[in-house]
Amino acid sequence: MLNLKKKFIPQISQIGEDNLQPICADKFDLREILLTTDLMKKTLLTILSLMFINCVSNSQIINREPLSPRITGYRIEAKLNTESQTVVGYMEAFWVNYSSDMVRDVQLHMYMNAFKSNKTTLYSEINSKASLKETEKGRIDIQTFTAADGANLLPSAQYFSPDDGNLHDSTVIQVILPQAVKPGDTVSIKVNFETKLPSRIRRTGYADDYYFIAQWFPKFGVYETTGMRYRMTSGWNCHQFHAHSEFYANHSVYDVKITVPNEYIVGTGGLLLDETDSGDGEKTLTYRAEDIPDFAWTAWPGYKVFTEQWEHVKITLLIPGERLEQVERQFTAVKNALEYLTKNVGPYPWPHLTFVDPPAKGSGAGGMEYTTIFTSASFFKIPVCFHVPEMVTVHEFGHAYFMGILASNEFEEPWMDEGINSFWEERIMDHYWGENSGMIDNPLLRISDKSISRISYVSSGSRQVVSNNEYSWNYPHHTYSMMSYQKTATWLYTLMGIIGEETTNEIFREYYRRWAFKHPSGKDFINVVNDIVRNTHGDEFGPDMNWFFDQTLYGTGICDYKVSDLHNIKLESALKDSTLVDTLKKNLPAHDTLYKAVACIERAGEVMLPVDVLIHFTNGDEVLESWDGKARYKDFVYTGKRMIEWIKVDPEYKIRMDVNFINNSMTQDPNRIPLRRFTNKIISLMQFFVSAFTL
Amino acid sequence: MKIFKAYESGFRRSLNAWKGVVIVWFFSLLSVSLVALPMKGAIKAAFGKSMVTDKLMGGLDVEVLVDLGASLRILTHFFSSGLFFLILAGFLANSFLAGGLFDTLKKSDNRISAAEFFRASAGNFWSFLGISSIISIIIIIIGFLVVGLPAGFISNLHADSEKTPYIIVLISILVFFTIVAILNLVADYARSWQVTKEKKSCFKALGFGFNRTFRTFFPSFLMMFIIMIVLVLFNLLVLKILGPWRPVTGAGVLLLFIVSQLLFFVKVLIKTWRYGSVTSLMEQSNPDDNLV
Ligand SMILES: [Zn+2]
Repeated sequence: MLNLKKKFIPQISQIGEDNLQPICADKFDLREILLTTDLMKKTLLTILSLMFINCVSNSQIINREPLSPRITGYRIEAKLNTESQTVVGYMEAFWVNYSSDMVRDVQLHMYMNAFKSNKTTLYSEINSKASLKETEKGRIDIQTFTAADGANLLPSAQYFSPDDGNLHDSTVIQVILPQAVKPGDTVSIKVNFETKLPSRIRRTGYADDYYFIAQWFPKFGVYETTGMRYRMTSGWNCHQFHAHSEFYANHSVYDVKITVPNEYIVGTGGLLLDETDSGDGEKTLTYRAEDIPDFAWTAWPGYKVFTEQWEHVKITLLIPGERLEQVERQFTAVKNALEYLTKNVGPYPWPHLTFVDPPAKGSGAGGMEYTTIFTSASFFKIPVCFHVPEMVTVHEFGHAYFMGILASNEFEEPWMDEGINSFWEERIMDHYWGENSGMIDNPLLRISDKSISRISYVSSGSRQVVSNNEYSWNYPHHTYSMMSYQKTATWLYTLMGIIGEETTNEIFREYYRRWAFKHPSGKDFINVVNDIVRNTHGDEFGPDMNWFFDQTLYGTGICDYKVSDLHNIKLESALKDSTLVDTLKKNLPAHDTLYKAVACIERAGEVMLPVDVLIHFTNGDEVLESWDGKARYKDFVYTGKRMIEWIKVDPEYKIRMDVNFINNSMTQDPNRIPLRRFTNKIISLMQFFVSAFTL
Repeated sequence: MKIFKAYESGFRRSLNAWKGVVIVWFFSLLSVSLVALPMKGAIKAAFGKSMVTDKLMGGLDVEVLVDLGASLRILTHFFSSGLFFLILAGFLANSFLAGGLFDTLKKSDNRISAAEFFRASAGNFWSFLGISSIISIIIIIIGFLVVGLPAGFISNLHADSEKTPYIIVLISILVFFTIVAILNLVADYARSWQVTKEKKSCFKALGFGFNRTFRTFFPSFLMMFIIMIVLVLFNLLVLKILGPWRPVTGAGVLLLFIVSQLLFFVKVLIKTWRYGSVTSLMEQSNPDDNLV
């Protein structure tokens, strides 16, 4: 790969923190420039466009230094029309060719077209045959599409479907450029577009006067260079909009002006720089965002706005006025997540964060992440013991790390975002809300957050049909969430059980250090694991940890270790039996009885992991054996006067991938107290229940 | 005053009818055990000699439950079908045993033997079964109309205010509770009248029940409403006591069993108190029960 950094990483302009005016955004309005001759027009437009690019790529407003290379940037002026539920926009954007190739086209996402009809890839993947009502349809119409010099690019633009060839899908557009772009050159485009929002919110859309606006402007795909992720040759990575998939984009700079009716409260992933009242019942808000992969926003008159500060981060919460009792819960959740991830992964690099609790009518927007803006999910009067709002907030905030900072390709390796993020969400929830009560904390029922993942994975009938190494839309039998979120979180817990919590945290710190604001792949993550485990544990787990990932991430096997038997055989003629060799025996009085005590362990699943086996004897002795877990069975035999009382494989339940904890142990004297207690409660429950049903 | 007198008399009558209360309690324990004990055996077999039950000492562990796999599915089926059987059996048993109870309660100082109790139960069975069936069907239909329909309506409602669905649910529950109180009154008046008559007819009894309920609506309803609130509060108290109680020794589990059965006994006693109070109120007012 060419070392283009020097060439393209902009010089840092000396902007003081108190001088928060964008350097270029407001200095001119390109559309107002009227020129008389074509030549002059083209030249001037080119110069002005380059000025815009230069401004965007050189100016720093939020952070003193760019966090990511300035590959793409956007300046958008958008107006929300609440009568027609449309966003009318004008966009200037650039893409810099960082590769060593001559690039002949650009590819952009046109995701709102996923809602155009019931024949798009989105609707065909959810098997929705019912035709869409007019209000349910969404689309993005390009009115003009020109190059910096004013050349019309529309004739050379065409929709295409790289993933499934669906002729009815128009969520990706390819524009053939008049001239191929040389390495280091910039493509700048100007687009007038109109986005019609769908009424059923599915990540984006409107409900009555509520708007959540995402995937609403033409956005560049990622041009991947050779060697990046799994690329053998350079090329665009620009997938269609799928039912079960998220996104992939370059970190970009956004200068966005949003015009809405005065009564609307707006939240975005950017920092508010300016607000002006146009005097005709509308206001224009100017935002700046840096180093985020997408720009989304919301508008609704019913929001109440709260702000709090956490260290360097100003946190803004938009919440319906009827849920004010949840404001504290929401801030606590997001601050806990900030604290935990900062300590164990890396710093949150932006000084701003906005999160939204959508009202019931906009609940389709709930639980979605756009890095510096995300949506939680809740409802009126949700009891404090149900930590659903907290869990969603912690989860969606976590994406700022695993989708935002570490921007993996969510289409192709969904586990790297949703799975890793679920693992951290569960750790955070159980850390702050109780090891056994991260999800529900009621005297009648306590459930930890990590249990949810394991339950979902263990109880899935399709847990072995596919591995974690699959494109998001290719998961069969409705396994996308179970595999991407829950199985991944479960095997990450298992990894932590094997290598330890501190090593795990160190892995993620190093992953952050190496890959922040880049696009890591699964193999990059595994390389970090291998390096850190080797540095911390030497050869304890072998030369690398590939054996673990081959079975968990890339494999479909299940893990199940069990105690198959426990027996103590009385040796009648023990002292005469010269074949018995036992150190204990030498010291035994002649009349003592000897036993051959055997602990029989089996590997019932395909996955082979090192496990501990704890054996407890009747005299109180305990032996902790280590087993590499590779053979199909292992017998631990002890000869002496002690008998085995109980055996536990993986006594601390660290191997959370194990699909059955019940067979992990065996005892001569099972504890029946909980069962008797349960039966008593079931008896009274039934008595009271039946009594309530009779007159 | 009438209400307090009815409560006091009803309470005395229910204490006098303790034998009947014991019979109802015992039958309940017996029938529920028929389902719960085989279930216990199945759970015991599913856990075998595992020590995972240690994880259950602090309360229910959903991971352990899910690890039961196929056994959990069998247990769930067993539990749901067992519960259906119990509701059916409980319905029939209540129709039968309520005959004995109402007969015992009809005179404030009337103490009867177990044999007399069962004789009265058998004598009133068909009529009581008719009364219970008709009132239960009305409750189910009204429940659907008052709770089911609004619930369906609000699930499709895009109300501006999130309080609206919440308030709709609260109101529909309150309305349902009120209607159930009225129908309980009808059933109780009908049954307490029926035991005083030689000729058994559930329709005549129900006619009396409706008539008396609405002719003496205010005191009757108030009395029933208060008793039902007492019952709801008592049920919440039981949940509060038994729910989080997790004894860790054999003796503790035995104590849990004794306390839970005592609480259920009290629950039956409160219901009997309701029957007694309605009976007493009927005897107090007794305007012209020949109307029917
Ligand atoms: Zn997520």
